Amino acid sequence: MEPNVLLSLSHISKRFKTELALKDINMTLHQGEILGFLGPSGAGKTTTIKIITGQLRQTSGEARLLSTDSTNIDASIYEKIGVVSDNSGIYEKMTVWQNLSIFAKIWKVPKERVEQVIAQVGLTEHAKKPAGKLSKGQTQRLVLARAVLHKPRVLFLDEPTSGLDPATAVEIHQMLLDLKAEGMAIFLTTHNMEEATKLCDKVALLHEGEIVEFGSPQEICLKYNRDKKYQVLLNSNTELVLEQNPENIQKIATWMGHDEIACIHSCEPTLETVFLEVTGNVLNV
Amino acid sequence: MKNMHKLAAVAQMKWLSINGNMTIAMGPLMVVAMVWGFKILYRGFTSDGALTPFLISVLLNLGLTMNICSEGFIMVGTGIAEEKEKHTLRVLMTSSITGLQYFVGSILFPFLFLMAINYAVLLICGVPLTGASLFTFTLISIVASLTSCVLGMIVGICAKNQMNANLIAYPLMMVFMMVPLLGNLSEGLHTLSGFLFTGILTGMTERLAYGETYTLAPIDIAVLFGELIISVLVFLILYKRNGFEKD
Repeated sequence: MEPNVLLSLSHISKRFKTELALKDINMTLHQGEILGFLGPSGAGKTTTIKIITGQLRQTSGEARLLSTDSTNIDASIYEKIGVVSDNSGIYEKMTVWQNLSIFAKIWKVPKERVEQVIAQVGLTEHAKKPAGKLSKGQTQRLVLARAVLHKPRVLFLDEPTSGLDPATAVEIHQMLLDLKAEGMAIFLTTHNMEEATKLCDKVALLHEGEIVEFGSPQEICLKYNRDKKYQVLLNSNTELVLEQNPENIQKIATWMGHDEIACIHSCEPTLETVFLEVTGNVLNV
Repeated sequence: MKNMHKLAAVAQMKWLSINGNMTIAMGPLMVVAMVWGFKILYRGFTSDGALTPFLISVLLNLGLTMNICSEGFIMVGTGIAEEKEKHTLRVLMTSSITGLQYFVGSILFPFLFLMAINYAVLLICGVPLTGASLFTFTLISIVASLTSCVLGMIVGICAKNQMNANLIAYPLMMVFMMVPLLGNLSEGLHTLSGFLFTGILTGMTERLAYGETYTLAPIDIAVLFGELIISVLVFLILYKRNGFEKD
């Protein structure tokens, strides 16, 4: 395992009775990197997180997290990783402070760090409020605060912005980018392709338990950019979609020379259209 | 144990959960209130207002078995079931808490609660205990309360949610509570009662109420400790199979 590789999956498969939930999954996650696991509900995203974090055993293959084989993971590994599942799992009757101080005690984290994290996620004024009375966005921030309280090396997030309003989702995105900047490796599952494009260094498109594409969002989109078209909006409000050829490039150059172009875009496919093309299924299910 | 801070964290969490759940928190107090209420009621049955040893034994037996059975099973069992229902158990188990730490942390406060209520019931019934009697009472209370807590853990490990925990706990409560309580009415139940840890408790209360010292017979010791060991083994088998929560 390379020194800065924190997670590696090699030929992971998982079978539940007759159903093959994961098929030959391979990937690596490096320090300071965000890896997105994209796929519709039931594609195998949560199963993958459970296998990596030792909550579920794979049928075949090898998963190594912080150089430890996932089948040999003991409780001590959780002192080095943070896990946010698709359910918040907060103690609703306890206050925000109590929710975090319990885990601070488990991880031997000083009280100052609890205060720091509460401030970081913007919950200082809600610290004495019962967690059950927080809004969905505040709850998600509390869950994130709990997961990073002990400064884990790898953070696992299962659909972290699912069901959140756009403004809160943007706040969560910024927090994740800040954590990445601090050197934390983040494994993120989502079915929101915009989120993945914005946050992830690498994404894996998962379809029926199989990775159908893997790479940076840009690489994947460019790979499927077969039509190579430009979308042009002229000052006359005429919108044109032009194929990339010498004749059209000349046309565009002429319009630019006469300052006739209001707006111009290249038409690469999005991750959603790539997913649709590769699988025939819509991603946002 | 090396990681005492983790055990303390689980125990603290359980303490806060018990305090935050009125149904669970009120249970032990209800036992005390009930024994007190019955004591006042029974006094009305006697001409001098003093309880007969028989009535004291009924009161003591009712209070202790109800406390140990209902509170042990419910407090521990529904506590775990609530954690499953609210998904906090998974969070806790992915925060470096081991199964043993969770086990000990989960039964610590319920066990202390049971013991405190046992002594409170004893005081309300007005049974003076000294020397050997106090030692026997304490020993039987400790083992019975521990067994009850472990059975509560089994209820919790089998239950999917709080309602399910109650459904599993009630038949257990019926057996361990009602068989000794009704043992005087039927020879068969009386014999069966001798093979239950709560039956040993009942036998002890009868002697103590009459001011006699209860001596544990070898069969009593075998039943008391045997059922505790069996409970722990059943728990371990279930835990080895699925952990606290089945995927």
